[in-house]
Amino acid sequence: MTALLENVLDRAPLGVAVRIARIDWTAMSEDEGRRLREFGLMEGCEVTPLHRGSIFSRDPLALTVGRMKVIIRARQAAAIEVEAVA
Amino acid sequence: MTGAIPSIALVGNPNAGKSSLFNALTGARQKIANYPGVTVERKAGHASFADGRPISLIDLPGTYSLTPASLDEAVTRDVILGRQDGEKRPDALIVVLDAANLDNHLSFALELLALNLPTVVALNMVDLATRDGLTLDAARLSKELGVPVVPTVAVRKRGLTELLVAVDGAIRSHAVREVALPAEANDASLHQRARTIARAAIVNETPVRRWTQRVDNVVLHPVAGMIILLTLMFIMFQAVYAAAEAPADFLEGGIGVLQQWVVATFPDNFLRGLVVEGLLAGVGAVVVFLPQILILFLFILLLEASGYMTRAAFLMDGLMGKVGLSGRGFIPLLSSFACAVPGIMATRAIPDEKDRLTTILIAPLMTCSARLPVYALIIAAFIPNRGVGGTGVGLQGLVLFGLYLAGIVGALVVAWALRRTVAKGTNAGFMMEMPRYQMPRWRDIVLGLWQRAWIFLRRAGTIIAMTTVVLWLLLTFPQAPEGESQVEYSVAGRIASGLEVVVKPIGFNHDIALALIPAMAAREVAVSAMATANAIDAGDDEEAMAQSLGERLQGKWSLATALAFLAWFVFAPQCISTIAITRRETNGWKWPMFMVGYLFLLAYAAAGITYWTAVAFGLG
Repeated sequence: MTALLENVLDRAPLGVAVRIARIDWTAMSEDEGRRLREFGLMEGCEVTPLHRGSIFSRDPLALTVGRMKVIIRARQAAAIEVEAVA
Repeated sequence: MTGAIPSIALVGNPNAGKSSLFNALTGARQKIANYPGVTVERKAGHASFADGRPISLIDLPGTYSLTPASLDEAVTRDVILGRQDGEKRPDALIVVLDAANLDNHLSFALELLALNLPTVVALNMVDLATRDGLTLDAARLSKELGVPVVPTVAVRKRGLTELLVAVDGAIRSHAVREVALPAEANDASLHQRARTIARAAIVNETPVRRWTQRVDNVVLHPVAGMIILLTLMFIMFQAVYAAAEAPADFLEGGIGVLQQWVVATFPDNFLRGLVVEGLLAGVGAVVVFLPQILILFLFILLLEASGYMTRAAFLMDGLMGKVGLSGRGFIPLLSSFACAVPGIMATRAIPDEKDRLTTILIAPLMTCSARLPVYALIIAAFIPNRGVGGTGVGLQGLVLFGLYLAGIVGALVVAWALRRTVAKGTNAGFMMEMPRYQMPRWRDIVLGLWQRAWIFLRRAGTIIAMTTVVLWLLLTFPQAPEGESQVEYSVAGRIASGLEVVVKPIGFNHDIALALIPAMAAREVAVSAMATANAIDAGDDEEAMAQSLGERLQGKWSLATALAFLAWFVFAPQCISTIAITRRETNGWKWPMFMVGYLFLLAYAAAGITYWTAVAFGLG
């Protein structure tokens, strides 16, 4: 369980590309899940987390998906399991 | 296709450059900005094919799929499916794709192609894709999709003729297509297909080190980014005062000259009094704030058009998340510093219903430009113009900053409370695409400013002029006998005396009670109302006439009363336009009534606490 926690997008180091291994769709609402997929965040795709939070909080997270830069919240990022890009 | 003019809809993802393409095709003049949600109003225009046959174009709100997440996205779906009331189903679609973002934008394009309407794909912003080191094969893409694909650069008007020729051809030769979409399409398979097609269409992809990433490293830095945001806000509010001073003085001088000219030219009668004391004094007191409003809007339009606004939303999301809102709400709330009406309209891009409602309800707490006349008058009259403790910071500016801050803190506290009571719901998400940085186009900025100036002047010419004239009449009749005060004796004066009973405990006097009633129409009317009452009160007394409104108030009000009056306007919901737009946006009277109620309660409490505290410190 701990290992799994370490491997979520929310904990991934900034500036390093990772591949999405699994997304726990049950951890978010249907609308949120769909919007994630519309952004292209799906199993198997590569993302690079770039910016995290402000002085107020760890939220939100900005990452690149392909040529697009998107913002999501830490809660969703915690449901996205990632692995190193081979 | 004989007879009726074909209607063609532009659809695509947010930030695909749809609005620019629409403007380029129609020559119509609209606002173009960079953040999702700006094209919420239905936008229609006319164009024609090469041979002169007219066509009508509609620009639909940007969306990611046919399953809407917010109000504006629902409009797009309903129009395309022919379900929108009063809107006929479009005869053809122009699907606008951002060339640099093909794999992502293609999913929605595939979904649209499955509808089997005559369709042409505009491969937009190909110049920016080239800048990013991307070479695309439009012919290959066209083959994969089974519809014409035309490369365009909307802002340079490139590819437009070819696009319309293709649309014409698509309508003429339309037959049921071989659908490029698997029947059991779901998000994942759709995306998979989109990526495969995109990869086939990309000829060459050279990674280019993008300067925009280096900019974002600073602008989105947790500390540096926040300092930049605060500095920008500081410069913005400083500019509103510093840069507006000269043009405001000029306007004020002009109105004075006009008043003198009317007095010198026309005989002293009823009409001259109405024009000089009513219209010119009242409307003039408000029009002088036009330069400040324009400067504020200039900043907001520039921040939007450059792509910075979404970065600001990113930085503010953490703070707003703590009170149950999201960074999305930052854009409408910042607009509300200029005026709550466009601010409340901008909330339509917030997907979560409760998040949106809360943002609407706190928007009037942002210090809008209509409060400036009130604040400026009272601060200039009662707060000494000196530095604070030997620093360069002026006391007057500090008080003004405090009033802005009181509004912001009030809004956060209210949002926190609302999200735990009437607008309870799960913590709203914040998912947003970050647009690329772009150079704002001056023509669009100037156009946007012109629209704002026009709205403000029209308001001054209608609502404010009307209430001022009515007030002047109520203040002038019945004529007071010799030795009695005209203002106190008049109809308005007697109504004010009734209200005075209610507001006396919080330190308000007869002047204020008189100004509060017409100020229900708009806050700045409080100033014009006092100016009108003052002009009538001064009558033929030369000494009184020579005094400015501020000087007259100094003689009549205590400092405690002045401070209470300022505190009142931080909260008081005195603006008919805001109440009307809230009714429209929440579909009923329930929420505008709630808003008016809670804001008046807060205003009364804030003014009361301010007054009693000030009196306790011996300022009464």
